[in-house]
Amino acid sequence: MTGGREVSRVAIERIDAETCTGCGSCVDSCCMDVIRMDDEGGLAMIRYPEDCILCHFCALDCPVDAITVTPEKTGPLPLSWG
Amino acid sequence: MRETIIQTDVLVIGGGMAGCFAAVKARAAGRDVVLVDKGWVSKTGETPYAGDTTVFNPDWGHDLDAWLTQVHTVGEYLDDPRWTAIVFGEAYERFLDLKAFGVEFLEEGCEPVRLAHPLTQLEMPDAHKFPPLVSQVVHWLPGWPAKLRKAVLRSGATIVDRFVVTELLVQDGRVTGAAGFDVDGREPRVIRAGAVVMSAGGGGFKAIGYPTHGLTADGHVMAYRAGAQVTGKEFLSPHHTNPEAPGWPPIYPVFASGHSAAFPGAWHDPEMVNAEGDEVPVRGMAWHGWIDAEWEAHEGRAPVRAAGPPDGQVRPLSGPGGQGSMLGHAAGGIVPVDDTCATHVPGLYAAGDSCGTCFVGAAYSGFGFATMHAAVTGARAGLGAAEYAQGADRAAPDAAAEAAAVERALAPLRRAGGFGPRWTTQVLQNTLAPYFVLYVKQDERLRAALSTVEFLRDHVVPKLYARDDHELRLAHETASMVANAEMKLRASLFRTESRGTHFREDFPHRDDAWLAWVRLKDEGGAMTPFAEPIPEEFHPDPALPYEQRYPMRLPGEEA
Repeated sequence: MTGGREVSRVAIERIDAETCTGCGSCVDSCCMDVIRMDDEGGLAMIRYPEDCILCHFCALDCPVDAITVTPEKTGPLPLSWG
Repeated sequence: MRETIIQTDVLVIGGGMAGCFAAVKARAAGRDVVLVDKGWVSKTGETPYAGDTTVFNPDWGHDLDAWLTQVHTVGEYLDDPRWTAIVFGEAYERFLDLKAFGVEFLEEGCEPVRLAHPLTQLEMPDAHKFPPLVSQVVHWLPGWPAKLRKAVLRSGATIVDRFVVTELLVQDGRVTGAAGFDVDGREPRVIRAGAVVMSAGGGGFKAIGYPTHGLTADGHVMAYRAGAQVTGKEFLSPHHTNPEAPGWPPIYPVFASGHSAAFPGAWHDPEMVNAEGDEVPVRGMAWHGWIDAEWEAHEGRAPVRAAGPPDGQVRPLSGPGGQGSMLGHAAGGIVPVDDTCATHVPGLYAAGDSCGTCFVGAAYSGFGFATMHAAVTGARAGLGAAEYAQGADRAAPDAAAEAAAVERALAPLRRAGGFGPRWTTQVLQNTLAPYFVLYVKQDERLRAALSTVEFLRDHVVPKLYARDDHELRLAHETASMVANAEMKLRASLFRTESRGTHFREDFPHRDDAWLAWVRLKDEGGAMTPFAEPIPEEFHPDPALPYEQRYPMRLPGEEA
């Protein structure tokens, strides 16, 4: 796997491999362990997208704006009524 | 695989506001401190979302009696005024600590922030009118959580990030450390400690919406299994979700870049309209339209609409799914047995949302209360644990027990198959999220949910499997959530009345025979609820009419 894996179905959609500097701040920011560093490329990668909970912290923390979070692409919600 | 062993005087589990204060204060008392977090210390739990804290200061014109009366009445007499007085009494000192950590504030005791609490609008006898000033909320500037982390590092404490604690080690009836694993390397670890502070937050069920997702009640469950008592599980911290945009960007962009006050898709102070176009009366937990939206849904008048994030437009709202089932801030948690935040298990201390001081009672009554409660109890637990660790006569480590704990931590990885933690979490969410389980409660429906949860506990949790270290964390979180669900359902069944954020359709009024805290303890392997009576000096005046003792209305109690 390479850094910047694109995952179009879910909220944390993309880490731009061209822009990412591999600083790792998004890995620290993610309380859900969604993002890991790619051992080979040294860049951040979306490793467990299904566990993203839309806190936006990775994108807010990224010093080079490499991360796209699209909140409309959330998964199914367990709603109290509907 | 051999485990790595760390030794310290004080182990702090959970690195939010409470854990950071505990670490700093235990270090200041001269003890070695290790602070661990399953995420990243300071960017963990509920802490990074907080936009403010409450500071009580008589020099700013605050009246302690007025504040206590408000908490007591809104909390419907299930608050513990002894703890409320401690939290308010020490708030200014902790505020000064935060400033010393480098946290900057928007306003400091200059112009009081006047909050119009809905209760001030109610018709009440003069003696029970609320002061217009609900709480002195002080907003901090962006980037403040990083200052907490720096303060911990400056104190000389050791931080271990991305480490999942799975159980407390208990030897001869005392907590002697913890076992767990490192999410990046699966490396199992044992941390031997003279004392442990549990500050791992409250617990929800990982639903999208109000951001409590990392909070899976791990601390409550670990402490309970070690022999501690847990209280307040029947109460909720209800925050509604916008089902059309549950993850919209933070609604307070001024704080967003600094990790503060980001409440994606959550409402505050909604003015709600039901499907028939009628305004929904706000009766119960007024800030959040608590129980009112739920009751409209129950009566078949959903969708309920309100103006909310991301842009203030009117959209349908729904209950917060599993999310709102999170433990009410400071309403409950691990029972402290004294004012050092010691618990029923020697060597174990609790702080923040992990600590059940009951300082706000059955409903949350002021903005910024939870952060200050976390700071105050964190400091007290850190000092208490430091003193205990200094005096503790440490027995020789039980290597066999440590190895067994590590083996339990890694057990889901050893299984070739079984039940996946994500699927199990979905089953749990689907069981608890419907409004008619934990919001509009009733005996038979609670028992039906409990039956499912018991099956998960007995048949599914023992067969959870993980394919890698990330799923290993999920498996342990799932096991904690299943235990937390059992706690919430048993406490809800036991309290046969309505009070605060606990509403029973089959017992729809307050019953002052229930001026008691519901606690849970392990008895021979069975989770057992019991009532701990509240001291009579804290009871409401029984001569007051019901409507004056309980100014907030519940469904069926319309004035």
